[in-house]
Amino acid sequence: MKHFDCKYYMNTDVFKGICKRDKNIINADDESCNHFENAQKCKHCSNFKSTQADLGMCMNKYDAYPEMLAVTCNDYKPR
Amino acid sequence: MKKENDLECTTEIYNYYGAKPEGGFLSREEKKSATPRVEKARQMYFDTKSSASVEFPYWYTRRWEELEGEVQIIRRAEALKSGFEHLTPAILPGELLAMRKANYLRGSYPMPWMSEGFFLSKEDDLFKEVQNAGKASADEVTTMGQGGGNVTKSVGSVISIAGKFGLRKEEMPILIKVAKKWFNKSVDDIGHKYEQLVPGYGTKEEIMRAVICMFDSGYTLPQGREVMNYYYPLQFGIEGIKDICKEKQASVAGVPGMDRLYFYKSVHTMLEGLQAWILNYAKEAKFMASLEENAKQKDEYLEIAERLEWLSKNRPRTFHDALQLLWIFHVAVLNEDPISGLSPGRVGQVLYPFWKQDMDKGVLTEEKTIELLECMRMKFTELDCFASMGVVGGVLSGNTFNNLCVGGLDKDGNSAANELEMLILESAMSCDVPQPTLSLLYDEKLPEEFLIKGVECTKIGTGYPAWVNNRVAMEFLLNNFKKEGMALEEARAWAIGGCLETSPGSWMPLEVNGETYYIPGGSAPATSVGVHFISLPKVLEAVLYDGLDKRTGRRVYPAHGSKLESYNDIWNVFKHYFSITVEVLTLTNNIQHDIWGKISPSIINSMLKPDCLEVGKDISNKGCRYNRTFNVEICGGVNLVNSLASIKKNVFEEKNFSLAELKAAIDANFGYLSALETGSYSLIEQVKTANYTDWLKIHKQCLDAPKYGNDDKYVDDLFKEWQIWFSKMCENYISLYNEPMYSCQISVSTHAPMGAVTLATADGRLCGTTFADGSVSAYPGSDKNGPYALFNSATCYDHSLSQNSQLNMKIHPSVVKGREGSRKFLEMIKAYLRKGAFHAQFNVVDSRMLKDAQKNPENYRGLMVRVAGFTQYWVELGKQIQDEVIARTEYEQIG
Ligand code: SF4
Repeated sequence: MKHFDCKYYMNTDVFKGICKRDKNIINADDESCNHFENAQKCKHCSNFKSTQADLGMCMNKYDAYPEMLAVTCNDYKPR
Repeated sequence: MKKENDLECTTEIYNYYGAKPEGGFLSREEKKSATPRVEKARQMYFDTKSSASVEFPYWYTRRWEELEGEVQIIRRAEALKSGFEHLTPAILPGELLAMRKANYLRGSYPMPWMSEGFFLSKEDDLFKEVQNAGKASADEVTTMGQGGGNVTKSVGSVISIAGKFGLRKEEMPILIKVAKKWFNKSVDDIGHKYEQLVPGYGTKEEIMRAVICMFDSGYTLPQGREVMNYYYPLQFGIEGIKDICKEKQASVAGVPGMDRLYFYKSVHTMLEGLQAWILNYAKEAKFMASLEENAKQKDEYLEIAERLEWLSKNRPRTFHDALQLLWIFHVAVLNEDPISGLSPGRVGQVLYPFWKQDMDKGVLTEEKTIELLECMRMKFTELDCFASMGVVGGVLSGNTFNNLCVGGLDKDGNSAANELEMLILESAMSCDVPQPTLSLLYDEKLPEEFLIKGVECTKIGTGYPAWVNNRVAMEFLLNNFKKEGMALEEARAWAIGGCLETSPGSWMPLEVNGETYYIPGGSAPATSVGVHFISLPKVLEAVLYDGLDKRTGRRVYPAHGSKLESYNDIWNVFKHYFSITVEVLTLTNNIQHDIWGKISPSIINSMLKPDCLEVGKDISNKGCRYNRTFNVEICGGVNLVNSLASIKKNVFEEKNFSLAELKAAIDANFGYLSALETGSYSLIEQVKTANYTDWLKIHKQCLDAPKYGNDDKYVDDLFKEWQIWFSKMCENYISLYNEPMYSCQISVSTHAPMGAVTLATADGRLCGTTFADGSVSAYPGSDKNGPYALFNSATCYDHSLSQNSQLNMKIHPSVVKGREGSRKFLEMIKAYLRKGAFHAQFNVVDSRMLKDAQKNPENYRGLMVRVAGFTQYWVELGKQIQDEVIARTEYEQIG
């Protein structure tokens, strides 16, 4: 798993960010550590269905994309 | 043609236009550093790339589609609300002011409801970028120093959009999908459909193609170049404004003039979105606190959470609260549209009541104030604007132009400078980052100590504050806004909106601790909307070539058919072509702005601007107190006038060569390679062709012709004639808001791309090189009689005729060294402003340092220069502008 997919990863830019736990700067696409937990993203939501690479549907009616952060989505339901 | 050895002058002719900077250089004066917290934030900023996300446009569009058929302004408010509610919060350790535009530190996002065409036309290219980005190591990613924070190429999981913004490649398909939903529905697409109904639309297309005008007004940056007004949130808090909306709603429901009902409802809805956004940040602050082991940092997170929860409903209690709320509303407006030049205005006067209260109570110190102000500077510096590509690179140089003003007069006509403004200047020296840039509203009533502080800030090389004449601005405002009821008292509430646009304001009664303070704030819509940047040398080129764009061979204007047998013939045809340009651009831009107001009206900014909330009208329905803000902008005025002087003298008076010979020399670029071939954009470094001697004499005569900036009556009279005619003619054109237009004289960065497509000019400038910057700056290297001669030339006309004038000067650091240097510097500035000048700004820098920075950018990540109305990091400027700044005359004496 990549830092980019982790709950504790905070983007600073498209390449990198910081770990919310230890505040170290990390590259988004590097391998994660043992503390990894899934970030709340559409791809982990039961309302999301993948349709093609990097695209999908939410609740069968809205276009959506798997990598979208969903910490602010009130309809998020973990799979 | 004569050969080189027949000429009187056989030497290198370019020593006329400045010498190449060589040898070692003198650094700028030492300055204090920022507080450790902010220094850390600045280093993080330097390491951060401009990044775009899709989150906000995704949620905006999703909600917009759901509400098909709803009243347009309600639909817009709901879409904005959804965008705000879903922004992912991020709070960095050490931040004292929370919240940002998007999830990334330098985050921004496309706004396809404004214009989606770029993504659709580039769809294939963008997908290719995704394929070709390949695998990159972390090292490759982190060594992209060139270009500062710009993502200049696609790499790894990131694609570069227009060499500026990075986008995660997994977000590309949804971005294209979202963009497609706006096809034929965006402001751009619908506006374009209707602007074609304007008679002469074909000419407009050719004007744009020839880059006589650089971009459309309504599709690109429909808001901005204006001054924020923070009064309502500071006085009432968010719940208080919602209550006002509810009361107003009840009073207008069912009463004719129903648009007011929808406006109040939309403001209420949008405020709910802002509340959700703020509370999401409060929640994130608590989450960060829960992970934090450092007790001090944990407390700071918890304080942020408490402050945001309070401000999501209530008016501020303290200076810190007030600054946080100011920032929230500033960002909220920026998320409404692509906007540049959203100026915070006279922040030191707006926040003074809260600051004084805290200082009196002993709960705030000057040190803590400086730290907070430095944090504010970092926040403004992190702002990026995702507008159309030509605009971001070609016009803005990546800058966002948030101008903070200090000084000026209060409501009663006394000096408005205060202790908080002294600290604002102090923090701008210790935290020398580009935003917010500063302007000092100079008035004879300002205390000397305050002015000296301003000079100390300018001379450490920040490029700010710019020095702006309060009286000239007030005169301009009273001339133009009297009809809408502006009186002397209100004229004093003005500030600079954007880089240099005089903008009307008003005084609003803020109550703090039982006392009423009249605070200034913007009370007008965007300016620098209307006709954007007409390239004057390019219009003159069309005159010489009978209406053609010689570079492409396309016809721009109807053939004039004149044999151009006298100087007056040339001047008259020029005026005719210029008038055609202004007319067609006014009409088409009026349509664009009308469509913007219909599809995508401003809600947040409207709510803030007096008197929209009072009268129930948004900005596009003339809800603001003052509405005459559309203008006509020009670029390259000094090259125009120098060229006219050369033609008048050389062709018609001294008959040194004929017009046909001049045109042949222009066609041959006076025997030099073009700047596009050499990659060098000033006259300092150009490459001769084998036959340059064929053109040497005529070129020398063009260069020797009278040049603006030397107190030479011959050329200054032409300059004055142009200025008076231009300012008058703008009044013949009527804006969307049914008001006459006025003239505006700034170049921003357009003097580079517009110079790039313009042939050599009769003043001796070569093809493709950058024009003179600003409006009254001399052409680089051509002002040879010292600063006071330049001042005389610049003030040969009345500056209050126009919304602004702009003078850039480059001063060697040795000249202004020490306390004595500061005094001399201030005297020089005063002398210029007392002559009736509107504006001056300075680069205090050794040109050799800039040359070194061009060669070794990695050593100069923090080097800033003043361009034309803004300060920018050297490494984030294009080479065309860098060359122009290096070539500017460097004054080594100012006494
Ligand atoms: S409900 Fe929310 S989190 Fe789930 S797929 Fe839809 S948008 Fe994503």
